[in-house]
Amino acid sequence: MDIDDILASVDRNDASSPESAALDHQLLTRFWVAERGVSELLPWPGALMARITDRVRKQIETIEDLAASSADPHPPTNNPTLNLKLSILQTDLARTQYLIRSVLRQRLSKLTSHSMHYLLRIAPADPSQPTTQQPEDSIPDLASVTDPSPLSSQELAFLHAHQSLLAGHYGASFLSSFPPQLRRLDDNAGGTSMVQGPDAREVVFVRCLVDEVRVVVPPGDGVEVETFGTSMRIGDVWVVRWEGIRGAWERGDVEVL
Amino acid sequence: MAFPLPRGITPPEISFLAEMEMVTILPRQRLEGLELLSGPAEPLLPPRRTTLPLWLALLLKRQRRANILPPSWLHPESLSLILDIETQHHEYQHAFSPPPPLPGQPSLRDRGKRPVATPRYTPDGGRYFPAPPFLPQNVTQDHIAAGEPPSLPFHWLEVGTMLLDAASDDLVDPDQTRRLLKELREVRTAKIRSGVDVLDAAASGGGGVALTGVGAMEIGEGRGFISGVVDGLRKIGASKEQARREQMAEDMANGGYDATQDDEDDMEF
Repeated sequence: MDIDDILASVDRNDASSPESAALDHQLLTRFWVAERGVSELLPWPGALMARITDRVRKQIETIEDLAASSADPHPPTNNPTLNLKLSILQTDLARTQYLIRSVLRQRLSKLTSHSMHYLLRIAPADPSQPTTQQPEDSIPDLASVTDPSPLSSQELAFLHAHQSLLAGHYGASFLSSFPPQLRRLDDNAGGTSMVQGPDAREVVFVRCLVDEVRVVVPPGDGVEVETFGTSMRIGDVWVVRWEGIRGAWERGDVEVL
Repeated sequence: MAFPLPRGITPPEISFLAEMEMVTILPRQRLEGLELLSGPAEPLLPPRRTTLPLWLALLLKRQRRANILPPSWLHPESLSLILDIETQHHEYQHAFSPPPPLPGQPSLRDRGKRPVATPRYTPDGGRYFPAPPFLPQNVTQDHIAAGEPPSLPFHWLEVGTMLLDAASDDLVDPDQTRRLLKELREVRTAKIRSGVDVLDAAASGGGGVALTGVGAMEIGEGRGFISGVVDGLRKIGASKEQARREQMAEDMANGGYDATQDDEDDMEF
């Protein structure tokens, strides 16, 4: 056990303290900026969101209690700052709710624009049984899925329902008049897959937060190993490909701007 | 449909973010401490100074319940010094003036020192390094280290504009400040525009373009253009890049490949 682990355990113990509220707020803000800036769906921060929604619920209760006491026509103690306090708490609540809402809406928009891609990523299609050729059949069965990462389980349920409706609609409106072998939504005849995913090569703006981060070039195009490109220093702001710093982002070494 | 905004935070969202910067205020009335979702807010006890998020400071300022103490960089003297660095300094002819150092980053004076970034830990065990807007870059410091040149924080344009709007009576010479902010903005926008030539470097794998010292709003303004140009160049150069990669794979198969070579190739582009 080294000193970092000890520090980590100390930091982790006080999940209900005001300081951890501040830290969670900073984490949510950073995640929001990253989710808004990156082309693909980022892993769902389940534990963070659970803590934050819990705090939001408690804060709403506090505000309701305060509002009830201010509506009381005969207050035992006249508190002149009560209205100011209420307006500050409500502004703070609205700002946090805005962040949560914006994260969720951005994720929904990414999910719906690449729905097949994410479905197949979570539940890879079974190549052994291409029996029936209806648009609905291209939707994978989610019964055996245990880990919905990078989605939350609610997002997965939404995605499945969304894609089922969409496939049914396509089938009813035009795909049923096509030859049976052309009806699937995940067709990859001729080596070209119909399923489009987000482009990980799109550039993002990042700030380097540790001593040095090297931009990686992931394997591909015949090169089997990862190679390294330019290196960033602490405090630097760079425009780089998302795929080049995705690993560093997951480690918390860079932040998306 | 679910979300109409383009990728990357837009200018209104950047101002929202800038409102989380901490500023120093001088309260005019008492208020007990509050447990906010964004962290605890200290009690207001005039005439003691307190540090609060900008949105809360502006809310109190509009109701005349507090005065905002301007950050040290938002002073005509500091701003004209920064403007000098941006325009006169040979080193920064094509670059932005250096930003305030992150915690653990050696300041400009002791450039040789090794940076020591100490992380905090999240409840989930991940590492967390604080960065703007959660660094005290806009609070009033009592002691400014001698010889430390003033620097523009990440959210300089937003914080400056918001303070000029809502709290101009708290600033030193607001008209001069406004003029200097405008000049700085023009000088720096020109630098972004002249930097378009090097965008090609970000279009190749492993390459990138450094914008160190850039402000949040300047990223927000340039984001659409820069990412559009880089992505366009990448698509044009895709077959060339693929050919280069295949050549590299061949070299590696022959056993004579050194990763640093690739590095230099990228920069020559």
